[in-house]
Amino acid sequence: MRKAIKAAFFGLISIAFVGSATADITFVSWGGAYTASQQKAYIDTYSKGSSITVENYNGGLGEIKAQVEAGNVTWDVVDVLPDQAITGCDEGLFVKVDQSEFINDMVVPPVSDCVVPQIFWAYTAFYDKAAFPGKKPKNIKDFFDVKKFPGKRGIHTWANALIEMALVADGVKASKVYEVMSTPEGIDRAFAKLDTIKDHVVFWSAGSKPLELVSSGEVVMALAYNGRIGAAILSEGKNFEYIWDATVLEQEYLVAIKGGNEAEALEFMAHASTAESNAEQAKYIPYGPMRKSSINIIKKGEPWFITSSGNIDILPHMPTTPKVLKRAVIGDPVWWADNGAEVHERFGAWKGS
Amino acid sequence: MNQTQTSTGPILTTDGIPLKVSLKKAERINKIRAFLLVLPLLAFILITFLVPIGDMLARSVDDRQINTVFPKTFEVYKKWDRQGLPSEEVYKTMFFELKNSEGYSVGKASTRMNYSKSGWKSLLKKSKRKFKKIEEGPFKEQMIAIDKKWADPEYWLALGQMVDPTTMGYYLNAVDLKYDSSKNIVQQKENRRIYNKTWIKTFKVSLLVTLFCLLLGYPISYLLATLPMKYSNLLMICVLLPFWTSLLVRTVAWMVMLQQKGVLNNLLVMSNLIADENRFQLMYNQTAVVIVMTQILLPFMVLPLYSVMKTISPTYMRAALNLGASPMHAFYKIYMPNSVPGVSAGCLLVFIIAIGYYITPELVGGKDGQMVGNWIAYHLKTTLNWGLCASLGAILLAMMTVLYWAYNKIVGIENIKLG
Repeated sequence: MRKAIKAAFFGLISIAFVGSATADITFVSWGGAYTASQQKAYIDTYSKGSSITVENYNGGLGEIKAQVEAGNVTWDVVDVLPDQAITGCDEGLFVKVDQSEFINDMVVPPVSDCVVPQIFWAYTAFYDKAAFPGKKPKNIKDFFDVKKFPGKRGIHTWANALIEMALVADGVKASKVYEVMSTPEGIDRAFAKLDTIKDHVVFWSAGSKPLELVSSGEVVMALAYNGRIGAAILSEGKNFEYIWDATVLEQEYLVAIKGGNEAEALEFMAHASTAESNAEQAKYIPYGPMRKSSINIIKKGEPWFITSSGNIDILPHMPTTPKVLKRAVIGDPVWWADNGAEVHERFGAWKGS
Repeated sequence: MNQTQTSTGPILTTDGIPLKVSLKKAERINKIRAFLLVLPLLAFILITFLVPIGDMLARSVDDRQINTVFPKTFEVYKKWDRQGLPSEEVYKTMFFELKNSEGYSVGKASTRMNYSKSGWKSLLKKSKRKFKKIEEGPFKEQMIAIDKKWADPEYWLALGQMVDPTTMGYYLNAVDLKYDSSKNIVQQKENRRIYNKTWIKTFKVSLLVTLFCLLLGYPISYLLATLPMKYSNLLMICVLLPFWTSLLVRTVAWMVMLQQKGVLNNLLVMSNLIADENRFQLMYNQTAVVIVMTQILLPFMVLPLYSVMKTISPTYMRAALNLGASPMHAFYKIYMPNSVPGVSAGCLLVFIIAIGYYITPELVGGKDGQMVGNWIAYHLKTTLNWGLCASLGAILLAMMTVLYWAYNKIVGIENIKLG
């Protein structure tokens, strides 16, 4: 009996070692419906030999920096926000990539030399149609107007996008937002606007929370990631409505971590960033592809979005359609890389006072 | 002992070696053996505990990054009188050091420079790209033509804080102070003063949590210790069950309970105790943090209390009552002093855990429930300002040490008992 256990034990150990001997890739992303869409769009279809393990994280460069500094890199490909893409590339945490394949096919130029394109996602305001039987909020001014539309607002616990939205609600043109934000008076102006809703806000930090807040009636309107709102409407049949005004578009990229399985990671990233892969992802989540040709693929393929009860047109839910772009703010990661810490501290002081 | 030995000459073993030497030798082997036994543990503690703490303390004052990237610039910078703009020489040295820098040093340096003055990051990045085209001087005008930030004395003055290889800047930052351009300590801009408030809040929340845990935990532990076995076991499971449940699950359960459209508020409205529009705001604020943390940390109070109370013999109380003390008086004079070691252990334990708490304030804290831990996490992950993280952490550590020292002075550390 004891021998059998011993044999089994050593067997297990040897399996563990054999398992880790082949070069596999650890792919790290944000979890939920988003990771599921990546899984279906280009992880399941990847057949170049490397097996791919998927892990979740909560953003930020902390873990990556710790891994690189300690020389113990366990993540290979990570899905990052643009300001982190810039900082990480500058600090040498990411591998530089050959961008010739897609550089002329992108909606906006890539933020750094280390990235391959993923998606555009957006902070956008939304409400439950049932909450407003009469007049409905139509723009970001209404979101900031608690007299016209009484009730609580759900907003996130960090400053990104809130500053931009507050300024647009205060009358700044969407295209001029970062110009105004680069002056000290501009930031004061944004905080003054935020003051007007301060007593009427509920803060959220997890992406699923605003949907919950609006569904339960805890708030009448909230800001949320457009993909989450879309998923709730398309897959759960929620009665939500977008307010496509001052929508703040954010870019999302893939990067390879220096010191990981770099060659395999780059090969995988090339597969994950083709126009087809970018378009394919929109079948499962309503985020906007970053490659221009992906949008054409989707247009031709509509109804593109897959649900259990047949396909649905996806373009109305995307943050990158001309109709939305006209009134949207394209987030400026360089501005945030420069001023993020200062504004965030001020935002923290504002929240707590 | 020694004296008698020297007066009678050393005692020898059979092979002629003095007994003292021989004994020492044998003992040394034993000592080495004992040391080898604890060596793995010692090495473990050293590697996983002391080295990281040392590293953290070092990071909190380390400011060498810039000096290694722009050494020459800082040499000429020191000669500048801090009036108006620096001379052409400073511009020129900066130009060449930036242009010729390789690898990622500039990226790292710019991150650090950005802490002193927001904007350095993009300035250096943009300039490095454009400097490639410039071959000869005068550099000042050409640099200003690339970006007018080069003509802003604020940027140059901000560099003054980084001249020395070590800095107290992170510590100052952690208590809402900062260096001005000539290294005088001044208050942080008013709208950026958050850390002092956060420290006070962290202390307040931790104290309240400790107090409520004690108020709730004391009677429970008393019951646990005095009830007959079959009831107390059941009660013990009630205490331990939440302890075994995931922290996240418990926190989220509280969110369902306490939010405005949650179970508690719904019940109150249904039973007409409060009007629909007057629902209590019990979630996403400091109140929520205190309530949820109290529930989560309660077992840390109950367990040491229980194990100490279990050892208090019931005969003490009986004797006191027998001798004519009223039950209150007997409790106050006999039971309470006996349970003090448990109370101190529980309070210290709860307070120490509470002061560094992160996940619960993050989830239920909302606008005014964020504690120091949340800011450490923010700077650790988002701004990569690990120097500030380290100084916040070091201050926490120092506070705990002071608290421990004060506790030892007032109550005495030998009075702490976990069982």
